[in-house]
Amino acid sequence: MKDAIQVRELKKSYGSHMVLKGFDFQIEKGEIFALLGVNGAGKTTTLECIEGLRKYDSGAITVNGKMGIQLQSSSLPAHIKPMEAVKLFAKWNKTKIDYAMLNGLGIKEIEKKQYIQLSTGQKRRLHLALALIGNPDVIFLDEPTAGLDVEGRLSLHEQIRKLKSHGKTIVLASHDMAEVETLCDRIAILNNGNIAFCGTASELTDKVGRKYFIHIKTQQGDNTFETDNVEDTLISLLGELKQKKIHVLDIKVDRGTLEQHFIEMARREA
Amino acid sequence: MNGFLYGVALQWKLDMRSKSLLVTCYIVPLIFFLLMGGIFTSVMPEMRSTLIQSMIVMSVSMGAFIGLPPSLVETYGSDVKKVYKANGVPLYLGLVTMFLSAFVHLMISCAIILLLAPILFEAALPVQLPFFFLALAIYIIVTLSIGSILGLVVKNQAKLTMIAQLVFLPSIMLSGIMFPIDLLPDFLETIGRIFPASWGYRLMLDNGFCLENLWYLILVFCAAVIICAILLNKQKSK
Repeated sequence: MKDAIQVRELKKSYGSHMVLKGFDFQIEKGEIFALLGVNGAGKTTTLECIEGLRKYDSGAITVNGKMGIQLQSSSLPAHIKPMEAVKLFAKWNKTKIDYAMLNGLGIKEIEKKQYIQLSTGQKRRLHLALALIGNPDVIFLDEPTAGLDVEGRLSLHEQIRKLKSHGKTIVLASHDMAEVETLCDRIAILNNGNIAFCGTASELTDKVGRKYFIHIKTQQGDNTFETDNVEDTLISLLGELKQKKIHVLDIKVDRGTLEQHFIEMARREA
Repeated sequence: MNGFLYGVALQWKLDMRSKSLLVTCYIVPLIFFLLMGGIFTSVMPEMRSTLIQSMIVMSVSMGAFIGLPPSLVETYGSDVKKVYKANGVPLYLGLVTMFLSAFVHLMISCAIILLLAPILFEAALPVQLPFFFLALAIYIIVTLSIGSILGLVVKNQAKLTMIAQLVFLPSIMLSGIMFPIDLLPDFLETIGRIFPASWGYRLMLDNGFCLENLWYLILVFCAAVIICAILLNKQKSK
């Protein structure tokens, strides 16, 4: 299958600071590919170089197909209404408006509001709609769910899956490990200007192990426990607390942040 | 309707929704006209012959230097330009549509002054109306082109407010619209002649439409177009 995107030896510096140190990757047609990394890792710079919005120092980038771009920080004139923006962008792209797509993103519900009156989630949906106006083959989504509530996130995830089912290639930048794991076919982790990992989420898990963090809040304070077997650790911890007659106020289990995975990966590699 | 025409029509609508444009193109200039028109014609009745031109210079300067640049900063000093660029909308669209929309708003504002001044203050209408309107259109275009540079160069609204005043105030005070320019000290008269307001004022006066009053405005406009093109290109290449 022909790749949707090929990146070869991509290098980019800001002044004397080298942000991208010459890496390769390719994205297959029809896959959801995530660029992960901590803040400042170079995700947005990489995306903007591929999108043609930023000049790069050296390397080669090939994008096969029409691009649709949702930027991380996006804005529109304060008084523009969603459908006016959609019509403006459609006219410049010389494409017909896909009302089914707009309805799917809930643009109809907000058509009477001005941009300044939209919530963060509504703005994100509008910018996604604008990115999809030209019926692109490759869609770039930079931190698409940042600032969204749970409902907004789930709705956007559904839209992204729908796009994939229509054969679109989706490239998203995120630092949300859980989101990436549920959505993406493959991920690349950017660290210190290089790609530290490129593969599937399960390959990453195999590499760094499956770590869980159990946060327990009791009357005596908060404690966090690290484990790779969440069930056994929970049973044991709860048993111990019950024995000591300590009341549990709250329990939270999470997979840890990307930084924690990095630390683990770096530690293993060392 | 193609993208450009839709963009122009849309900008007109956006400007109508924006309260700042309403204030800078209509409310403040017209209140100034009503107040100063009364004062000028009472204190100096001879000002009736130049009241329309004076008040128009004030209105156009306010709309172009105080009204247009903030709208441009909203687009070119923010992520709006990135969104345009990312979605295939050319960068010049914002500038051109805002320019055209502001031109129409200023023409309307000036037409209101032209209609009201003879009724309210017995001001003299320009003798050669076609030449007057041509001069007015040229003056608005030149002044908006300077406002465009301000909007493209300055990146934040606070700085812009300050810098715009540095252009607006001398335009009003030193152009001869408040008092005859020959009453000013020589160096202030010279500074006044740098600003297009004094040239536009003379161009709009009866029998003022001549090359002697026009060449400087054409020069300023050509320079402004080149500077705007360079600034847009710089934004594009970033």
